[in-house]
Amino acid sequence: MSLKDLISPFYVWQRAFEKPYTQKRPIEDRPGAPRYRGFHMNSEDCIGCGTCESICQNRAIDMVPVEGLEQRPGDSGLRPRFDYGRCCWCALCVDICTTRSLHLSNHYAWVTEDPDAFHFTAGTDPMPWNENSLGYRRDDDYHLLVHDRIEMEMLGPDESVRGFDEVMKGYTEEQAVLEADRCVECGICVATCPAHMSVPDYIRSVRKRDYETGLRLLYETNPFSSTCGRICTHRCETVCVMGYQGDPIAIRFLKRAIVDRVPAERYREILGDDVSDNGRTVGVIGAGPGGMSAAYYLRRLGYGVTVYEAQARAGGMLRYGVPSYRLPDDQLDKDIDYIRSLGVEVRFNTLVGRDVTFQSLLDTHDAVFLAVGLNQPSALRINGEEHPRVLSGLKVLDDVANGLDPGIGRKVAVIGGGNVAMDAARVSRRMGAEVTVLYRRRIEDMPADPDEIHESQAEGCTLVAQAIPVEIKPAASEAQVTIVWGEAEMVADDKGGRPRPVLQEDRMHEETYDCVIAAIGQGGQIDFIPSDYREQIEFKWNKFVPGDYQQTGLAKLFVGGDIANSRADAISAIEDGHHAARGIHRFLGGSADA
Amino acid sequence: MFEPTPQVDLSSGKYLKLWQGPQHPGITGNMALELTTMGDEIVDCKTHVGYLHRGFEKLMERRTFIQNFPIVCRIAVPEPTFNEYLYAAVVEELTGIESPERAEWIRTLNLELMRLASYLMWLGGIGAAFGQGTVYQWTVTHRDYILDLFEEMTGARVYHMYIVPGGVRGRLPEGFEERCNDVLNRVEKLLFDVEKVLFNNFVFKKRTKGLGVIAPEMVDQYGITGPNQRAAGFVRDLRRDAPYLVYDQLEFDVITATESDAYARSWVRYQEMHQGIRMLRQCLERTPREGPFQARMPNVLHWEVPAGETYVKAECTRGEYGYYMVTDGSEYVRRVHVRGPSYTHAIALMEKLAVGTNIADTAGLMVSLHTYPPEIER
Amino acid sequence: MSTATDLLERFGTNYRISEVNEQKADLTFFKVPKDQAVRLLRELRDDAGYTHLAFLTNIDYIERGIFTLNYMLHNYDTRHTLGMHVDLDRDNAEMESIHNMWAQAATYQRELREMYGIRFPGSPRLDDDFCLEGWDQIPPMRKEFDTAAFSLARFYSRDGRGTEDPREHMKQQLYPTHTDDAPEGGN
Ligand SMILES: Cc1cc2nc3c(=O)[nH]c(=O)nc-3n(C[C@H](O)[C@H](O)[C@H](O)COP(=O)(O)OP(=O)(O)OC[C@H]3O[C@@H](n4cnc5c(N)ncnc54)[C@H](O)[C@@H]3O)c2cc1C
Ligand code: SF4
Repeated sequence: MSLKDLISPFYVWQRAFEKPYTQKRPIEDRPGAPRYRGFHMNSEDCIGCGTCESICQNRAIDMVPVEGLEQRPGDSGLRPRFDYGRCCWCALCVDICTTRSLHLSNHYAWVTEDPDAFHFTAGTDPMPWNENSLGYRRDDDYHLLVHDRIEMEMLGPDESVRGFDEVMKGYTEEQAVLEADRCVECGICVATCPAHMSVPDYIRSVRKRDYETGLRLLYETNPFSSTCGRICTHRCETVCVMGYQGDPIAIRFLKRAIVDRVPAERYREILGDDVSDNGRTVGVIGAGPGGMSAAYYLRRLGYGVTVYEAQARAGGMLRYGVPSYRLPDDQLDKDIDYIRSLGVEVRFNTLVGRDVTFQSLLDTHDAVFLAVGLNQPSALRINGEEHPRVLSGLKVLDDVANGLDPGIGRKVAVIGGGNVAMDAARVSRRMGAEVTVLYRRRIEDMPADPDEIHESQAEGCTLVAQAIPVEIKPAASEAQVTIVWGEAEMVADDKGGRPRPVLQEDRMHEETYDCVIAAIGQGGQIDFIPSDYREQIEFKWNKFVPGDYQQTGLAKLFVGGDIANSRADAISAIEDGHHAARGIHRFLGGSADA
Repeated sequence: MFEPTPQVDLSSGKYLKLWQGPQHPGITGNMALELTTMGDEIVDCKTHVGYLHRGFEKLMERRTFIQNFPIVCRIAVPEPTFNEYLYAAVVEELTGIESPERAEWIRTLNLELMRLASYLMWLGGIGAAFGQGTVYQWTVTHRDYILDLFEEMTGARVYHMYIVPGGVRGRLPEGFEERCNDVLNRVEKLLFDVEKVLFNNFVFKKRTKGLGVIAPEMVDQYGITGPNQRAAGFVRDLRRDAPYLVYDQLEFDVITATESDAYARSWVRYQEMHQGIRMLRQCLERTPREGPFQARMPNVLHWEVPAGETYVKAECTRGEYGYYMVTDGSEYVRRVHVRGPSYTHAIALMEKLAVGTNIADTAGLMVSLHTYPPEIER
Repeated sequence: MSTATDLLERFGTNYRISEVNEQKADLTFFKVPKDQAVRLLRELRDDAGYTHLAFLTNIDYIERGIFTLNYMLHNYDTRHTLGMHVDLDRDNAEMESIHNMWAQAATYQRELREMYGIRFPGSPRLDDDFCLEGWDQIPPMRKEFDTAAFSLARFYSRDGRGTEDPREHMKQQLYPTHTDDAPEGGN
């Protein structure tokens, strides 16, 4: 033992003068670090997708309805309720939160005598830390989800304008799996899809590369899946929670990813559609998506179905409106042929009202479903519009679909901002014309799909927004026409509606074109229904207002599609058809399980 | 190899059965010793574990890969970060995900900071076990300074949940380097004080020298790793022998000793603390301030890890810490086995070394082996 | 030549080695039949430098009716690690003990006995409790042991818990009739 070993330990006394580290809790407050993972907070941005609940490995979260909070499309109305008997403050729920509404505060000490107080709904229950501004938040550069959509290969604009080849190439299998992988399977979109398709489930089947299950899921609600996988208005994507921090899932294209991988010959076997006749028949007017969807579900229930169609081919506006570079004919055929293969009879070139009476349908069938769509172009309601060089968008598209030359010339003005206008414009570009689109409001107000607007511009169409047509005048040449239009200012609506365009009379323009294509909307034609019947049916603005299960005041008559809904898209028509099939089945004494 | 239990006749009146624990001063956590003594000399020692068994390996088989990330830290309470890192590393190896360079530096910083904190706690423990309670108070305070750093970096003092598969969960906070340097200086100063008070203390020397000698040939027979092994003269350190993270870019010495007793082991650890400070200073200086700190991840909610198996290990304060993982391509792991050095140090080795020592030394002997029960029980 | 191929060459003639997987430069897995395993372990330890037993553990392949033991060996000189797999019949799992080869092996074997029900005849204190005191269920690491069901049956749950599925909730609230399982009535 050295002397040093004896003395050295006495060095300790020096430390007696050090400042102690002891914290005087609770006399003094010691706030948690700015990143501290303390108690939960939830902001108003929460839409109740429940992703926090799915990631919580402690099952500390329940999704519960909150009083005074209404569910609406895109918001389940549920909010996360935390059980602090289980939570470990890992903050995975914060990391995964799709809207970034969930945070942890840096508040970490809270004393109460009521153990149930530690079971609370963050954000809506009045917790002492609700105003806290510090605490754990997900770092901007740290992600547990994939926010960017997988790009799909498409024809470049130079190539696409040269013909009617399909522009979107579809996902490869690998791409589809990656895109499907992004889905958090919250199911918020299901309420928004007009047909309430099992979106998360079929996306999962893409991820699992199980296309048979996928096809079965699609056909539960939609027998036009090949079609909708291409041209659906994809309302679901507008509420997709992945859209809050990045791109919504390409739900529409994932539908296509399934049907693209199942050959038509295998449908029957995969879907297992055995049809046994139940001895009753239903007449369907119109072989558009509405009529054919009803026909499919009715046929599956065993009804004999006869579809009366004025045209020579089935598909309605999908056939004669939607151009083939968006929806190739063979893809539409894939859907329709399968429905027909189940024994649905389609009588082509049969216009109800001319070739067969409405009354005779009521007499021969146990029920009638009507989905005649809207095929009457709306008038521009300006002077001179009866000029022969003013064409309707529908007519132009119809001619092109039928292989006829619509005779549009080389310089074209399209009036309108919806999908019909975009289709007419892009078709005109493909026929070699120089195209100007005139639209009353701003570009962001255009009802057309943003992709369509974007692609039409890429293909060389000139979009002129806030342009109000005022008059059509004959031009010097008979093969031409002159349009007078004025610039518009957007004026806020005092009633809280969307801003109105107001014509600026001092800023008028005049331009001559080879033709003007009007595409500002269309109406229906139902004169074939005898007037005493029509009195029993409710209408609004020339459209049917159906009751429950698409039934009308004329009990045997069910209606759907563009002529009976305000959304006027394929998927709504399909859902109307399906819903009416359920309704007809109930009406005829079957159960609702259709 | 395996020493049979000596046949003692308890009814002879010569022996006493003595239970120590499960609240045992020799260990961070809970564990019991069943001692058979003759006088105050131990003639047989059996260990009893299980007080902290929470079945993590089982739980992990029933949770998704991301859900396991916040669980693993609990497998070694005073040193959770090694679990976080190894879990991340094993998943990354099986998925082919590469954590970016910035994250690798931040991870190294974390691990060394953790080592320092863990050693501070151990240093207090070894002091307290030999009556130097003051040392314990100093070191635990200084460990708290480090926990403050962890709190601001990770959002938590103990269960940091910061190293995540793919990288780390966030950037270093503003001004962290300065505060961290400050703490390192304070710890360094303290260490010199501890050297004077503990290592140059004749009581400590007298009680620890010659206590619990691990013969070199025992090292592989018992699977001994870490400072326990290095104090027996083996120059083995995974940071140097199988460098992971950025250890191949850091300057440090592998500390060894030859006496292989409680004092030598303590002295090795003490010097490793200085090496740790040295490495931390390099990390603080060289950790990139820019660039990604997380690899591009798939959607973790339904993350399927390809079928495979691997073993990833790291040098923790106690030796070889490793994660063995078997996956089958599903969203759940087939099997995880966590290899903690305490498994053999606290059981087979302790049972052997205790024999022949006396009751008063058991706690000190155990601390000198530096073991954590939760990593035994998992 | 890699260590794995070396080994195969060296031991391949005397042992039925299969499923060799070179996971990375310093880690190789392989399988050997049960009756050859301990002999090979001894040879690896004594003649091939694999002196360190890092751990011994088991993997449950319930769907194939087998347990796979994994002996993790390390060679400090070459810094190479070997994972030796041995398949056991899951319903009658028994393996030769190696408690005489490594001191810590007995502990692993005791744990495997408790957690999976594997027997290692001759291994010391094999049937003593390891982690589980008073355990009355099947060995809990076996895949068929359901932890969630166990805790639901054993412990009481907090009152007032209950969750709603967002999709289901929205369906009930927003479009109850637009589904095939719509409530009856209201023609
Ligand atoms: C140019 C254009 C582009 C469009 N793009 C899209 C798009 O991208 N995505 C989308 O979802 N929707 C789009 N739509 C809308 C979509 O086509 C319609 O919503 C959908 O076709 C409506 O279906 P439906 O069954 O109600 O009517 P329709 O499809 O119009 O079908 C009605 C059918 O009834 C027949 N019919 C009418 N009267 C009689 C009668 N008296 N007797 C017998 N048969 C009759 C018609 O010939 C027609 O075949 C577009 C529409 C147009 C015009
Ligand atoms: S912090 Fe972790 S444990 Fe707590 S509710 Fe969120 S995910 Fe669950």
